Amino acid sequence: MRVFRLHVNGDPVEVAAPEHWTLLEVLRYQLGLTGSKQGCDKGDCGACTVLVDGTPTLSCLSLAATVEDQQITTIEGLLPAHRAAGGEGADPLQESFDESGALQCGFCQPGMILSAKALLAENPDPSAAEIKESLAGNLCRCTGYTQIYEAVLAAAKADMHAAISTDSAKEVQS
Amino acid sequence: MAARDQHGAEAPWDQGFRVVGKENRKVDGLSKATGEAIYTDDIQLPGMLHAKMLRSPHPHARVLSVDTSKAEALPGVVGVLVGAELPVRYGVIPWTPDETALAVDKVRFIGDEVAAVAAVDEDTANEALDLIEVEYEVLDAILDPEQALVTPEPPIHEDRKRRDNISKHVELEFGDVAAQVEDADVVIEGDYTFHSTTHAAIEPHCAVAQPNSDGRITLWSSTQITHYVHRALARVLELDPARIRVIQPCLGGGFGGKSDPFSLEFVVAQLALKTGRPVKMLWTREEVFYAHRGRHPMKMHYRTTAKADGTITGVDAKLLIDGGSYSSFGLVTTYYSGQLLTGPYAFPNYRFDSTRVFTNRPPNGPKRGHGSVQPRFAFEIQLDEVAEQLSIDPIEIRRRNFLGEHTETVNGQRVTSNGFMQCLEEVEKASDWRERRGKLPFGRGLGVAGSMYISGTNYPVYPNKMPQAGVQLKIDRSGLVTVFTGGNDIGQGSNSMVAYLVAEELGIKVEHVKVVAADTDLCPVDLGAYSSRVTFMVGNAAIDGARKLRKQIVEAVAKNWEVEPRDVRLMDGTVVDLSAEARSMTHVEAFHLAEEMFDTLGSTGAYNTPTLGGDYRGGTIGSSPAYSFTAHVADVEVDTETGRITVNKVWVAHDCGRALNPMIVRGQMEGSTYMGAAEVSLESHHLNRFGLHAGPSLLDYRIPTSVDTPELEALIVESIDPEGPFGAKEAGEGPLHSTIPAIANAVFDAVGIRLRHLPFTPAKVLAALRAKEEQA
Amino acid sequence: MLRLPKFEVKNPATAEEAVAMILEIEGDARFIAGGTDLNPNMKHGLFAPERVIALNGIGELQGIRLDEDGSMRIGAMATLAEVTKHAELNQFYPALCQAAKLVSGPQLRNMGTLGGNVMLDTRCQWYNQTYFWRKSLGYCMKKDGSKCHVVEGGSKCVAAASNDTAPALMTLNAELEFVTTEGRARLPIADLWQADGIWNKKLPHTALLVAIHLPKPAANSHGAYGKLRDRGSVDFPLFGIAARLNFGSDGTIEDAALCAVALQARPWPLKKAASLLIGTHPGKDDFNDAVEKVANLAAKQCRPMPNIPGDHEYRHLMVPVFTRRTLHAAASDEGPVHHV
Ligand SMILES: Cc1cc2nc3c(=O)[nH]c(=O)nc-3n(C[C@H](O)[C@H](O)[C@H](O)COP(=O)(O)OP(=O)(O)OC[C@H]3O[C@@H](n4cnc5c(N)ncnc54)[C@H](O)[C@@H]3O)c2cc1C
Ligand code: SF4
Ligand code: FES
Ligand code: FES
Repeated sequence: MRVFRLHVNGDPVEVAAPEHWTLLEVLRYQLGLTGSKQGCDKGDCGACTVLVDGTPTLSCLSLAATVEDQQITTIEGLLPAHRAAGGEGADPLQESFDESGALQCGFCQPGMILSAKALLAENPDPSAAEIKESLAGNLCRCTGYTQIYEAVLAAAKADMHAAISTDSAKEVQS
Repeated sequence: MAARDQHGAEAPWDQGFRVVGKENRKVDGLSKATGEAIYTDDIQLPGMLHAKMLRSPHPHARVLSVDTSKAEALPGVVGVLVGAELPVRYGVIPWTPDETALAVDKVRFIGDEVAAVAAVDEDTANEALDLIEVEYEVLDAILDPEQALVTPEPPIHEDRKRRDNISKHVELEFGDVAAQVEDADVVIEGDYTFHSTTHAAIEPHCAVAQPNSDGRITLWSSTQITHYVHRALARVLELDPARIRVIQPCLGGGFGGKSDPFSLEFVVAQLALKTGRPVKMLWTREEVFYAHRGRHPMKMHYRTTAKADGTITGVDAKLLIDGGSYSSFGLVTTYYSGQLLTGPYAFPNYRFDSTRVFTNRPPNGPKRGHGSVQPRFAFEIQLDEVAEQLSIDPIEIRRRNFLGEHTETVNGQRVTSNGFMQCLEEVEKASDWRERRGKLPFGRGLGVAGSMYISGTNYPVYPNKMPQAGVQLKIDRSGLVTVFTGGNDIGQGSNSMVAYLVAEELGIKVEHVKVVAADTDLCPVDLGAYSSRVTFMVGNAAIDGARKLRKQIVEAVAKNWEVEPRDVRLMDGTVVDLSAEARSMTHVEAFHLAEEMFDTLGSTGAYNTPTLGGDYRGGTIGSSPAYSFTAHVADVEVDTETGRITVNKVWVAHDCGRALNPMIVRGQMEGSTYMGAAEVSLESHHLNRFGLHAGPSLLDYRIPTSVDTPELEALIVESIDPEGPFGAKEAGEGPLHSTIPAIANAVFDAVGIRLRHLPFTPAKVLAALRAKEEQA
Repeated sequence: MLRLPKFEVKNPATAEEAVAMILEIEGDARFIAGGTDLNPNMKHGLFAPERVIALNGIGELQGIRLDEDGSMRIGAMATLAEVTKHAELNQFYPALCQAAKLVSGPQLRNMGTLGGNVMLDTRCQWYNQTYFWRKSLGYCMKKDGSKCHVVEGGSKCVAAASNDTAPALMTLNAELEFVTTEGRARLPIADLWQADGIWNKKLPHTALLVAIHLPKPAANSHGAYGKLRDRGSVDFPLFGIAARLNFGSDGTIEDAALCAVALQARPWPLKKAASLLIGTHPGKDDFNDAVEKVANLAAKQCRPMPNIPGDHEYRHLMVPVFTRRTLHAAASDEGPVHHV
């Protein structure tokens, strides 16, 4: 057992777990954050994707002992962060995945949404090809990916609108 | 109970559909997007033990002894289980119970389950597995279906009536196929191979059992058929089914791979009873590959005869089906392999001779498009060859042979609505077929194929006359309607579909409907998510139940307002008076009036199929209350230097009767087409020379990533079925079928080679190209 | 879930400390960088160290920088994603960036390091499998057994070097900086390998790779990487080939290097073949003719074996195709050669 000092979804957490456990195990079975899924447990599927310092990372291949100083974001963190920033509902990406019908069984989707989240943070206006490439490590067996692309594009557009309207709001204010 | 007679395909209120046909959100979408949804492995119970399975390293062996004493002595091990403790046989088809939870006398493939351990954690359970000593007598293994056919000894299953390795044989002839050969203008004859592929749902199988102090037991399982698991558990555990509760939590994909009762379900239940503690077993991805129940590999021989105008006069098929080590759904598979080919084209003469054999391979079962994807692949290529020989456009030849609607197939299946002609038209238009087919530069081509599939089957897996689908509705004074259904939402969206239908029928908003599903203690029986039956059957049952309530609500309001019931209309949660007076109330107020008048409000709804099917043995297998129809056009490119086939785009047109939610229907069409395209050249469930799965992982079993998936365009066709729920039929399996032959036919258009043996690996493509060059 | 062995994790702050930690216990200990190779391997029971030493806290292993002599220093812990995105690397060492970009999928490139890629364990379809799987088979020579299933009766393990960046680094004459108990040393990457699939490096696993140094590029250096795989993402190479071409001021090829991977235990330099290109003129017939000869020679020198998944005869057929395409891509700066 080792006490891990993690930073999960903005919270500092101390959690005891066997030293050889992966981040995925600690998140799911010790912290109860079961939104991160396991489909292969060895790097092949992307279901366990979380953000480590904003970067999509496979939690099944990360030792909990090697991410202690970093900021971990799981799927459970998006909605509260969105609310904390004054938003309504869920994160715009989560909303657009729902609106586009991209969520079938949903098992790949926490990982998928986090990969998309990182993409949009880096590139708010991605092309279809860029979306495809950035999701190429997240296997989905249900959708054929099409509605997932639609969801990401829609979210990017909504974000742009939001950005434009806040910009213009700022302009109006100043 | 013939609920189907009551509905009709029209909107229940005169204002047209308010919910159906709209792109509503799914009832569980946000819970999945936020990580809130609970899947089986997300369940953690206090004091829960973790169980692991010991598996056979031999493809075929007698189990002489299993010594678990050392494992039991390991600190942290709480329970150990061997086959002798659960000797009762089961099988999803009641006529062929040939499985046991753990091996009793024999193991039949590498990965077959032998013993199980429950311990305080997974590490300890694994350690204990290594301490179990099993003595095997290794037997000859049969890995090849051809060999199985001619090798009766050793029988893989010993105590059947037949002493051979034939699992099922079906031979049926309608008309006289042999007589057609002489008169035919064209005879196309050839061999085709469909290889082994698997479901690879991203969620691995998992089960959790909790023993209750009153002697009851609860099982959460990643199953797509709660009801059959419930029945099988009662049988194997020899428990009163009333003491067993089976719950399907959110399911991470099924595609047929979670349709059988699986050993882990019995094992965790028994270990829970034995230890008095909750027990979980989560299979690794490797174990999921061994559990398999994937698409049956088939070796197929087809002969099609046709007239000079392209009319098909006869189809003669002989199929060898590799069943793997157990029966699973094999009886049905064997029938389906022949019975489901008889549309969307009419042919007056048809024969099939299908033999399913046992081999020492992981058991095969139902994968999306159960039993009929393989024959469809072979036949649609033959049809293309007929067209080629007669210089008829491939779409045109399909039109000429159209079966028609409200008709009967050659094997006596009743067909109601049929939108196949429009499917052809849609893909023809969208792909710019007339301008492009046969006119693209060498290396690029277009191909077409069509297909038909069932919307549920009237053959219940165990014979009974009770409804095939049932729902129960409860109305709360808050205005919330709760629908209880045994139907399994496996990601296809059936819970949403139930909510839409009930909301439509009652004239309330979708958010006022809550669906409780797949819990045997709470929900009336439904036979589960297979054979594309849920929308049709549960949908009809839901309308049936809601309609009964609607009558009460309307009556209560009419009485209160002193108007005729026909003047009361519910819409989006508001009740309005259509007679002169302009007044209204909320649906909640209406519910209260109804409760005053009728006491506590609730209803049941049910569905059963009409009597269907041909009047011969097996004539009901494959008979469905309605059939869906599909056409695909694929646009491919072949790199003649590497042999790689790139599928640029696939257009899929599918007749789903009525799209209850077009967004969900498109998702099913795209997902199906993706899965079919994946089977063409990437995926192969391949055993090595030792009989061991060559690469049981999501790395070596290559399911397409985003960059490997063709562009997909879904074109919905609505034929409005007279018996479907508001006219709907299935959309979850049909749109897979013709993807594969459409790609095969496009490869022919691109480079002039006929590929007949899946998978179309680049190596095979190169070899075919070379052979063609040599011929020229 | 798959289980990792029970180990302790150490988090050293310096390279020397890390090396001390790996040597101070009697049992097995391993360095872990991104963990994308070691973790799956440990989950398969291929390694069962008692101690794992995390390298992510060691400052000098981080970062990519241009040194004063014009060479490039890539810290061993630089991720493949960092390499892929680095502007100067893309400009001067395109084959390396293309190879890095074609490793696996996005998340694995975010995690996987260049050092880990160089030090990657060899791969084989009979070896990269679970404990149960290998046990069912009676194991093999590389781990726990005595037989080879690739070359039946063979006495040497021929598991394949499968690291995409290795051939690129070979063509670039990279130098590897290691810390061992003996101190610090630099080794040309060509001298790292040995033809043994069980351990294909001449240094033991206790040697710590600190940085990869790329010599200052020639003025007009071009390169490309070609990769054969089934899917457009995630998959390891079924065959990989890196090319470097240095053009003289008149556009003549003055120097050329070629190296292949995913064949046998070590990356496979094709020196003789590459030399045929010298003196030819890209864009002209002499170059095209030479490329054909190089492709044919490569096909003779590269003999894929049934060690990694896939049809090895087909992989062999692809050797000349990928060699040719990669050379043309290098000459015209149109790499990588990959099907998507
Ligand atoms: C699904 C999947 C697909 C993959 N596809 C590819 C692919 O296409 N191409 C490819 O090349 N690789 C592939 N990989 C392998 C791997 O992701 C990459 O090779 C990656 O670069 C390895 O780096 P790492 O930092 O994660 O290594 P680690 O796993 O941390 O280490 C790998 C080995 O190197 C040793 N090591 C690491 N760093 C050092 C150091 N500084 N000094 C000494 N020893 C060290 C470790 O002890 C270990 O033995 C794939 C992996 C997975 C899981
Ligand atoms: S080549 Fe493969 S089978 Fe042979 S010893 Fe090496 S790892 Fe084992
Ligand atoms: S569970 Fe981590 S990649 Fe599959
Ligand atoms: S939605 Fe089911 S795997 Fe992606």
